[in-house]
Amino acid sequence: MSIRMDQIQPIIDREYDYFMSEHPHWSLTKGDQDLELVAHALRVLLHMKTTPQHLSEYLALVDCQHADGGWGKMASNKESAAWVTAFCALMLIRGNLSLKHPRIAEAVKKCTRYFLETQKEDGKWSDPSWADLDAVSHPISFFDVLLAVGKHLVDEPTLAKVRASWRKGMKFMLDRQAADGGWYDPEFHPTGVEITAHLIQDSIVADLLLGDEFNVRECCRKGVMKLLSVQAADGSWDGENVDHTMDCTRSIMLVCSVLGMRAQCDRAIERGLEWILKHKCEQGWPDFPGMETNLERTCDGLDTLLKYRAYSQPVTTAIVKLWGYAA
Amino acid sequence: MIFLAKVAEIPDGARKLIQVNGISVALFRQEGRFYALNNACPHRQGPLIRGTLEKTAEGSGCFIRCPMHGWRFDLATGDSHGRPGNATVYPLIRQNDELYIEL
Repeated sequence: MSIRMDQIQPIIDREYDYFMSEHPHWSLTKGDQDLELVAHALRVLLHMKTTPQHLSEYLALVDCQHADGGWGKMASNKESAAWVTAFCALMLIRGNLSLKHPRIAEAVKKCTRYFLETQKEDGKWSDPSWADLDAVSHPISFFDVLLAVGKHLVDEPTLAKVRASWRKGMKFMLDRQAADGGWYDPEFHPTGVEITAHLIQDSIVADLLLGDEFNVRECCRKGVMKLLSVQAADGSWDGENVDHTMDCTRSIMLVCSVLGMRAQCDRAIERGLEWILKHKCEQGWPDFPGMETNLERTCDGLDTLLKYRAYSQPVTTAIVKLWGYAA
Repeated sequence: MIFLAKVAEIPDGARKLIQVNGISVALFRQEGRFYALNNACPHRQGPLIRGTLEKTAEGSGCFIRCPMHGWRFDLATGDSHGRPGNATVYPLIRQNDELYIEL
C-alpha cells in the first residue's frame, strides 16, 4: 500500500478533535438533532473506541425511541421510519457490545420487533424517503449484526423470526442485482453506485454467517467489479461525489478483504482515498469538492480513514469488526 | 427584492450558485426561462446545483435530480412528486438585464 499510516494517523487525530469540537451540533444531549447525523457520529465514537466515555449519547438515543421501536428523521418526530430506525438500531446494538447497558439492550429488542412487524410480504421494508433497496439494506445490516454478534440479545423464538426475516430481505436484495453486477433504482439511484456499494457490504455477511447459501460471493465479486469499472480516472465515483466515493472505498475494502481480492482492488482503494484526502476541507469534508465542510461527511471521512487503518492490518477480521460483523 | 445576477452572466443551459442573505440559491436558465431554488435538497441537503436536469414527460418543463440520492424536483414549482418534502422555489423578477429575487 502506498498510503502510509504515518500520513493517515495525524489526520485522524486532527479530524477527531474537530469532530468533538462540533459536539453541540451532533449530540442529542444538547437538544433535537437529525438522527442520521447522530448515528454517523456514534459510529465515529465506536470506531475511535471512545464509546465507553459516551454512554449518555447512547442513552439519549434510547430516550427518543418511539413505543413501536422506531425513530423518526428528527429526534422530535413522532412517526417512525425504516431507514433511520435501522441506522439508530445498528449504533445501539454495536455500542452495547462495550456498554452492556440494560436500557440499551431493551431498546435493541424493541427495534428488532419493529423490523419484524414492518417487513412487507415480499421481504422489503418501505420508507418514502428512500428507494426500496435502501430501505431493505439498512434493516438487513442490523440483522446482520444481530445474527453475527447479538444473538444473545433476543430469545430463541425471536431469533428464529429474525433469521427468516433476514433471509427474505436478503433474497429481495440479491434477486434485484443486475447482470452487470450493479443494483439500480431508476428514481433514487440511476447510476447505481451508492446502492451497489451499500448492498455488497450488507450481502457479504451471508458468506461469513451462512457459508455460500445465497451464492453471495459471486454476487459481491460482481458488485466489486462493477464499482471498479465505474471509478473515474481521478479516483472518485459518481461525478466527484464525496459521499459515494467514501461509500465505494469503504465497501470495496471490506468485500475484497473477505473475498481475497485485495490484489485487484488495492490500487482502486488507494486512488479513492487519495482523492478523498485531496478534496477535504481544512476541517472536515464537503459533499462535493469546493463546497463548505459538512458534519455528516466529516463523520464519513473519519470512518473511511479508520477503516483504511484497519484494512492496512494483516488480519482480515480487523476490518470486518468495523462493520460490527465480528466481536 | 434582492439583486441576484445579471442576465448575461447566465447563458441558456447554464447554472450558477449565488449566496443571498446567507442562503445558497441555485439559479438555472433553461430554454430562456430562469429558475431559482434553495440549493439544499430537502431530503439530505444535497446540492441541487450539482444535479442532473431532465425533461418532463411532455417535454414542456424540467426536473432537477439531486446528485446525492436522486430526489427529483420540478424546476418551476419545486414539487417532488410524492416524496415527503419539496424544494424551495423563489420568485424571480427580471428588470431590464438584471435578475432579482424575493426571499
